[in-house]
Amino acid sequence: MNERTKTISKGWTIASYVFLILFTIITILPVVWMIYSSFKPMGEIMLHPLRLPAAPTMENYQKAFKYGNLVTSFLNSVFYAGIATVSTVLLALAAGFSLTKFGYRSSKFYFGGFTLGLLITVNSVITPLFIMETNVGLYNTRLGVILPYIAFGLPMAILLSTSYVRGIPDALIEAAVIDGASYVQIFWKIILIVSTPVIATMSILNFLNNWNEFLMVFTLTSGEDMRSLPVAINSFAGRLNEDYGLQFAALVVGTIPMFILYLVAHESVIKGFGEGALKE
Amino acid sequence: MPRLNKRASYLTLLLPAFIIYMAIIIFPILMSFGLSFTEWRRFQMTGFNGLDNYREILSDPVFRRSLWNNTQIMLISVFGQIPLGIVLAYLLHRKWVKGTKFFEFMIFLPITISSVVIALLWNRVFSPVGIDTTFVRMATGNPDYVVKIFENEQFAMIPILGVLLWQHTSLYMVIFLANLQRIPNSVFEAAVIDGAKESTIIFKIVLPALSSVIFTTSVLAISGSLKSFDLVYAMTGGGPVNYTYVMALYLYQHTFTFHNYGKGSAVSIIIVLLSVGLISLVRGIYGKAQKKFE
Repeated sequence: MNERTKTISKGWTIASYVFLILFTIITILPVVWMIYSSFKPMGEIMLHPLRLPAAPTMENYQKAFKYGNLVTSFLNSVFYAGIATVSTVLLALAAGFSLTKFGYRSSKFYFGGFTLGLLITVNSVITPLFIMETNVGLYNTRLGVILPYIAFGLPMAILLSTSYVRGIPDALIEAAVIDGASYVQIFWKIILIVSTPVIATMSILNFLNNWNEFLMVFTLTSGEDMRSLPVAINSFAGRLNEDYGLQFAALVVGTIPMFILYLVAHESVIKGFGEGALKE
Repeated sequence: MPRLNKRASYLTLLLPAFIIYMAIIIFPILMSFGLSFTEWRRFQMTGFNGLDNYREILSDPVFRRSLWNNTQIMLISVFGQIPLGIVLAYLLHRKWVKGTKFFEFMIFLPITISSVVIALLWNRVFSPVGIDTTFVRMATGNPDYVVKIFENEQFAMIPILGVLLWQHTSLYMVIFLANLQRIPNSVFEAAVIDGAKESTIIFKIVLPALSSVIFTTSVLAISGSLKSFDLVYAMTGGGPVNYTYVMALYLYQHTFTFHNYGKGSAVSIIIVLLSVGLISLVRGIYGKAQKKFE
């Protein structure tokens, strides 16, 4: 399967190499440049933009952490993305179980309702959401960020979970019913256990989306202590900031956590995105 | 197992998700629709004004520019990112090169970076101390060269479009790659043994097999390009003047800067209608194309 097609002409091989190498360089170069530039003092960035740091310094990072409130924002990001992801995954799996294994006719209607959500984007609800949250006191609270995160994660997660749970043999569930287990017990003790692969896919896609989300935190919170990393980085190292070193350091801080996730779990990330979008 | 119990379990498992979804997505959409016919002054709703919001928006040159800019984003997504994604996926799938896993890993990496970081990073690339500027200075020998494309009314969107291409192409690559892997390898081998030309393989085997995914990704690209906000907001804020305004930015301005929730909602509804309209159009084209090939 992995064998290369041997009859291919040399020309094609060379052309493929050139194209792929060029594309990879264009993709990676700005990122690499960002990382090493963050260790250069301002003057050196101005004078020799492309050179590697002559004497690497942590000064930019010290400043970024001092002025940028990055620790709080980092913790907020972990909190928002973490809680929302766990909730979305559990809710979506429960819904997936109920929609595929109970055989009620209404399932179709509910499922259709959820898939409709795939086409609805954050900016089409942001105005009413802002008004609603202001009126019920959720504006500028962490719950007020997490609830919309959960809601917007659900359509895709339910699509993935239903198609997975549908494939779990009915016999497994029937046997447990005969043994006297309740459906809720079956969910916790069977469905949740055998669905590990789809849980991994849902979690990764969701966590990454939530982690990088900008608009909702930006509009539904106002306090500096409520900001997630992207919002904090934008407000203190945004396009009007002229301290390039500080800005590079802030950008690296915003990037590294997901780089590490990618380094550890790139196979699942790639698989998740590849499969996540296929389901219609 | 008593019937009542089963029904109760069904609802216990389903309703938490459904209620959150209804409350946060479906209800606001309906509310948005209602609000779009209202007039607001100083944080207060002052009454209904029929289609006035829509009329004002559609005749506003800033909105029209936003619409055109969104159209450009859509075109680069559908006719730039998707074809390039297919080419990359195909090259990786046929394994004419070594280290396909490495290429895949590297090319997909930007997917982990938030749009805000990407926007600010590319601003630096185009800035006087950036990669782009330095390269051009070295190549042309002109030490005073600066990137001026942002300032030009006609071309202000080009850097944004380029960055979007850079940011999202790999997503399509990964989707197409996952689907190419579903085509049995024996199909390729048989074609090669039969002496089929590469172009025959691409047009007779690969593209037909990918047609439904091309449709799905087009839908994804269209709805994605209508919502673009983060990147544009962080990169240019719509400027200079309003050359790079997009619809979501226009919406943001009316809701959160002017607190004109009626107008903001009307923009949302316009975005939703456009999205539904365009997706139905693509669905129609896809349906017709399918019939033709069968």
